[in-house]
Amino acid sequence: MDSGIPSLTWTTIHRTLVIGRLYLAIGTGVSLLLTLILVFGAHSSTAFVQTFPLEVPLFAVLGSIGGLMTFTSDRTKGVFEYLIAYGIRPRTLFINGLLSAAALTGLILGFALMVGLGLAAAEGVLLTPDLWKSIVLYTIPMSFAGALFTATVGMIWSSLSSPRTGINSPVGIAPMVGIAPTLLVLIVAETGPSSQFYYVTVGAAAVIIVGVVILLGLSGRLMGRERFVSPL
Amino acid sequence: MSSTPLPALARNAPNGGHRIELRGVSSGYHGKRILEEISFTIEEPAVYVVLGPNGAGKTTLFRTIAGILNPYSGSVEIDGVDINRHEARTRLQYLSHIDGIPDALRVEDALRFYATVEGATAEDIEAVIGKLGIQELRKRFFSELSQGQKKRVSIARVFLQERNIYLLDEPTANLDPKLAREVRDLVLGLSKDDLVLYSSHNLFEAKEIGKYVLALRAGRIGYFGPLSELRPAKYIIGVRAEGTEGVLASSSKKGDYYLQELAGPEEVPKLIAELMAKGVQIREVKEMENPLEDLFT
Repeated sequence: MDSGIPSLTWTTIHRTLVIGRLYLAIGTGVSLLLTLILVFGAHSSTAFVQTFPLEVPLFAVLGSIGGLMTFTSDRTKGVFEYLIAYGIRPRTLFINGLLSAAALTGLILGFALMVGLGLAAAEGVLLTPDLWKSIVLYTIPMSFAGALFTATVGMIWSSLSSPRTGINSPVGIAPMVGIAPTLLVLIVAETGPSSQFYYVTVGAAAVIIVGVVILLGLSGRLMGRERFVSPL
Repeated sequence: MSSTPLPALARNAPNGGHRIELRGVSSGYHGKRILEEISFTIEEPAVYVVLGPNGAGKTTLFRTIAGILNPYSGSVEIDGVDINRHEARTRLQYLSHIDGIPDALRVEDALRFYATVEGATAEDIEAVIGKLGIQELRKRFFSELSQGQKKRVSIARVFLQERNIYLLDEPTANLDPKLAREVRDLVLGLSKDDLVLYSSHNLFEAKEIGKYVLALRAGRIGYFGPLSELRPAKYIIGVRAEGTEGVLASSSKKGDYYLQELAGPEEVPKLIAELMAKGVQIREVKEMENPLEDLFT
């Protein structure tokens, strides 16, 4: 490979950043807004410590939609036809979509954590061990798990359906679907004994990731190459 | 016309052994068969024009040969290698009727994207940019281009790497006449050494560049053979001439042309000789019907 030619995966991620920039901006923007409210608007440190780690995964899911948008666009515009004609396997197309979603998630997560924790520390909020524990055992794994789940469901859904645009499309509905397991885990974890909280969240993230892997495996078996042909 | 599988055309042609072979291929989408029992072998370097009305299965045929669609039955082989093997994919180039250029990329980045996939080099990219004359487009976003410009970029992609088999689905659609001519010249150049399957709705274009015709009708082969052997149901020529009083005056006219129905092209010299003997000053003689039109009826 020529040194001046980037890899297919890197090109896909780069395009995802461009295509999904609006969702990326909304995800980071809303996350920042909530951080500002928690740091400057709340009257106690507890509000930040208890709320901040829980809300970040929701914005990560929203901001990662660019991966799904790129996948859907590539299918509709016939890019996948060419790639399959060149011998690229459909599973590789799915994996590239997931890596793109993961890259966006990493960006939002990195931004939210750096800015959120930085502002909190600057304002004198005590960054307790419990806060760090929540971030490591809930925020980070659930952000990636939720985003990858959203991307996987959305990609399979858009491959199986006719192209639609707007809120009624897989891209429009996927964030709601993607946020659902994150919220569900939160509700279950919060209603159970507090000593079990992290077991529930880490276990749930692991289950979601396993689900993503299973869906990915099934997608290769269940979806023929014809699913990647442009409907135009 | 026969819809039964036809034997290979020019099997012993000296082309370096490149071959497309379909055996009993049925293919389509989501279980619905568009192509039924398609069988043919082509080996001779030439342009094979694929014709047929909308819905006949032309694009499905291209997608199946390119390995994008998996046949429900039968097999597709490229140079004797099953199309499902990567080795076969690297022997052909496919141009879809859709542009297939990813969103959010400038033209040169789009070519770099496909160079990534094909294993082409930066030099290859520069070469196709020069070959297709798209230097002025290279920094522009693909989404900003006109339909014709988009098609040029899409065609440029096909030439990133030299191959011996080209599947070109409506390559001149949306192109202005000048560029369409350049593309046809490019294709004719390829056909000296390579196999080119070429679909078009323009019958005059098809007649101009095609050596063989593969006509599809309702997913089956309606005709597969040399274009030169196609004969229209009626062979009608038009004669533009002066001094026609009492000779051609009673003939029906289409524009400036007096129409004459003949048994075939072999009768044209005889007709010309007869008219000239009667004092008619012939300015032009041309065929008034394209034999390919019959393939659509």
